[in-house]
Amino acid sequence: MTDDAVGEQTQNLVQELRRGVIVLAVLSQLDQEQYGYSLMKGLEDRGLQVDQGTLYPLLRRLEEQNLLTSDWRVDTSRPRRYYILSDFGKKVLHEMTTEWTRIKTTVDNLLQNEKEN
Amino acid sequence: MKLVELYLDEIRRHLPPRNREDIVKEINSTLLDMIEDRNPNPSQPVDEETVKAVLKEFGAPRDVAVQYGAKTYLIGPHMFPTYVQVLKIVLIVIAALNILGFVVTILSKSSLDAGLFDTIFQIVGGLMSSLFTGFGIVTLSFAAIEWTTPEEWNIKAGEEWEPEQLIKEEHTQKVNYAGLAFEITLTLVFIAVLNFFLDRIGIYYFDESGWVSTPILNQNFNRYVPWITAYALLDIGLNFYLLRTGVWDKFAIIGRLLINVIKMAVNIAIIVGPAIITVSESAWRNLNFDIDIKAQQLTQGLNIGIDIVLGLAIFGLVVESIKLLYTNFIKGKHAYIEISNK
Repeated sequence: MTDDAVGEQTQNLVQELRRGVIVLAVLSQLDQEQYGYSLMKGLEDRGLQVDQGTLYPLLRRLEEQNLLTSDWRVDTSRPRRYYILSDFGKKVLHEMTTEWTRIKTTVDNLLQNEKEN
Repeated sequence: MKLVELYLDEIRRHLPPRNREDIVKEINSTLLDMIEDRNPNPSQPVDEETVKAVLKEFGAPRDVAVQYGAKTYLIGPHMFPTYVQVLKIVLIVIAALNILGFVVTILSKSSLDAGLFDTIFQIVGGLMSSLFTGFGIVTLSFAAIEWTTPEEWNIKAGEEWEPEQLIKEEHTQKVNYAGLAFEITLTLVFIAVLNFFLDRIGIYYFDESGWVSTPILNQNFNRYVPWITAYALLDIGLNFYLLRTGVWDKFAIIGRLLINVIKMAVNIAIIVGPAIITVSESAWRNLNFDIDIKAQQLTQGLNIGIDIVLGLAIFGLVVESIKLLYTNFIKGKHAYIEISNK
């Protein structure tokens, strides 16, 4: 296997991994209301780059699943759509956080074994 | 911000109708946020290079729309209304021709001998098979058009896109996609009839051997069939070329003129050549109309009618060719000079 192939395959798998994590990351930031671009910047500042082609449709999907609510604000310099967690979303986020911790611990342990071998 | 508007228009075209305006509004607000954020001199109005960079980063309009659930279709939403329209016309024409044919048959007394069941069977069977053929041809040609138009190629290839394209697309003389789709479909139906169902155009009557149809186009017409098929195929080829390029370029114009010349030549050949319609004496007698016209007189009349129609068609072709030459070469040059003088 060439380095190129390793790189390419890694990139594909990482992308898959990120796809699941992004939902959790987005939900975690929306306990306070934010508009799309500020959310994207916020995630980027904390080291998670999400491209807009993924983020905005995702926000809409989450809203359709009743995890978020949104409304247009016109009091700022231009109309912006603000998103915030719904009560349902808060409960789901809480459950998911517990799950995430469990998965993270398990996978960390597995990877630890890998290192030791 | 003209570029942003063109960009949003292009996205809007591809979005599913649900939430369309809301999605566009949000993208607009985001783009403006991004542009403002990237502006190298916040005190100055933003320059076009920054706008282009932001749009390029945001992605090709079609790709953006797909993220919002725009699907790829057999026949896409922008083509679908035309598809339904063409389908209606084709099916109505086919049904009308069938019904007309059989009204003539029923009016003639021979159908009484056939019995009600046989007559209905013949009518419904013939109608169904021609309707299905029509439906198939229309659907297949629209699917072919959908999959060969340039935007579909772009998304499949996942090519890099340049915001410049938006401006170019706005200024070139765009072809009328719906019109082309319509022409391609009708031409395909025409070719099918010409090559496979020519003998169906005729007189239907019933005698002791069952249903008989006698074609009214005689063997003199057969020699023109390959020529007519050839120019019809060239027509379709040209229309597909126009769908791909999206503009009337020099090649397309010359192609159209050449095809017109072939059409005129075939029409002239038919007019000066031997008569192409023969109403058979026995078929005419079997129809049993209470009109005092002989089959021979009818034949003559129909042939003169055809010649007149073909003559008018030649006139139309000449007018179209002159118009094409004028608007694209003569008037086009003036426009060019005017712009370069500024």
